[in-house]
Amino acid sequence: MGEVRRLVIAARLEEVRDACDFVVEAAEAAQLDERAVYHCQMAVDEALTNVIEHGYAYQGDGSQIEVTCHTDLNRFVITITDNGPAFNPLEHESPNPAQELEEREPGGWGIYFIRKLTDDVAYQRVGDKNRLILYKNLPTAIQIGGPDEGGEDLFPTRMVNGDVIIYPAGRLDSNTSPMLEQTLKSQLEQGHYWMFVDMAAVEYIASSGLKVLVAIWRRAQERGGNVFLSGLQPRIVEIFEMVGFDMLFEIFPDLDAARAARSQQD
Amino acid sequence: MVMEINSSQMKRVQLFEVVGRVDSTNATELGQTMDRAVDDGRNNVVLDLGGVEYMSSAGLREMVRVLKRVKRGGGDLRIANPSERVQEVLELAGLDTIFEIYPTQVEAVGSF
Repeated sequence: MGEVRRLVIAARLEEVRDACDFVVEAAEAAQLDERAVYHCQMAVDEALTNVIEHGYAYQGDGSQIEVTCHTDLNRFVITITDNGPAFNPLEHESPNPAQELEEREPGGWGIYFIRKLTDDVAYQRVGDKNRLILYKNLPTAIQIGGPDEGGEDLFPTRMVNGDVIIYPAGRLDSNTSPMLEQTLKSQLEQGHYWMFVDMAAVEYIASSGLKVLVAIWRRAQERGGNVFLSGLQPRIVEIFEMVGFDMLFEIFPDLDAARAARSQQD
Repeated sequence: MVMEINSSQMKRVQLFEVVGRVDSTNATELGQTMDRAVDDGRNNVVLDLGGVEYMSSAGLREMVRVLKRVKRGGGDLRIANPSERVQEVLELAGLDTIFEIYPTQVEAVGSF
């Protein structure tokens, strides 16, 4: 369970805005996207407005409502606790959005929106307090331990007519070159000696990246294959020319040209 | 500034441009502002929501109430330029089929 944020407001409509700001900040910190943050804000606004308009209608000042936010494993959780008379909003029937204008009742939309804008809602009567708990799912990517942990780190590849196309991206430096090597090696081991490396998304290549390309190129050639490069950005071409790799590799303006050259060699 | 309403009387249309945040503390102010135009017989109303960053059901309630009123007077309340979020909320409440909604103020005003 993450850090619990807590705010107490007086049971007055003017204070609801502060609670909205509080929830927006907590929801943003929990990595919810802009749309989900808006949903949380509106759900809390509707819930607090309901509590204040119904629960505290006949009470004097001095009543307070507590709002807390925290994240559990995969949800952002907002808890609203008040000491008004027992009131379970979930027992009340929601209005029907398909109703025609003249049939529409003004009331009941608050709880309707609370249900629609959250992933789950629960009500508890705890002693002399009402507790409404709103749940909003966190984005999938940050559920339990981060994206793709433990998976093999390989660049995307695609097979076309027995040839393999590899799509490295970003910077090919000492951090990422092992990943390129792993990708290319695993293709060689599967007997794929013809490889197209589409470099269109490569922004930079360091000597470690160049070394990997040469090593794989040699091994492919030994087995009657080849490595065709395509889509090099001008800065990459410059680097290739500097080290004389433009004489070594077949380099094509784009993947289609590389593919066409390959079919002519067959 | 929490909410600001700019009102302009056009040839056939009463235009209200709303800016800011519409919630339970100020939704009635929005409704009453529109009511005053309707009191004067101006039943064709455009509500430009382009500047509305947030609207709760309290705001929707006032819009629906005024819509019923202008329709009885033979007019209409049409919405212009809602943000993606406000549009979503209108849809959730089924109000996108009850209100005529236009992407721009010019189109909403020109629709009368």
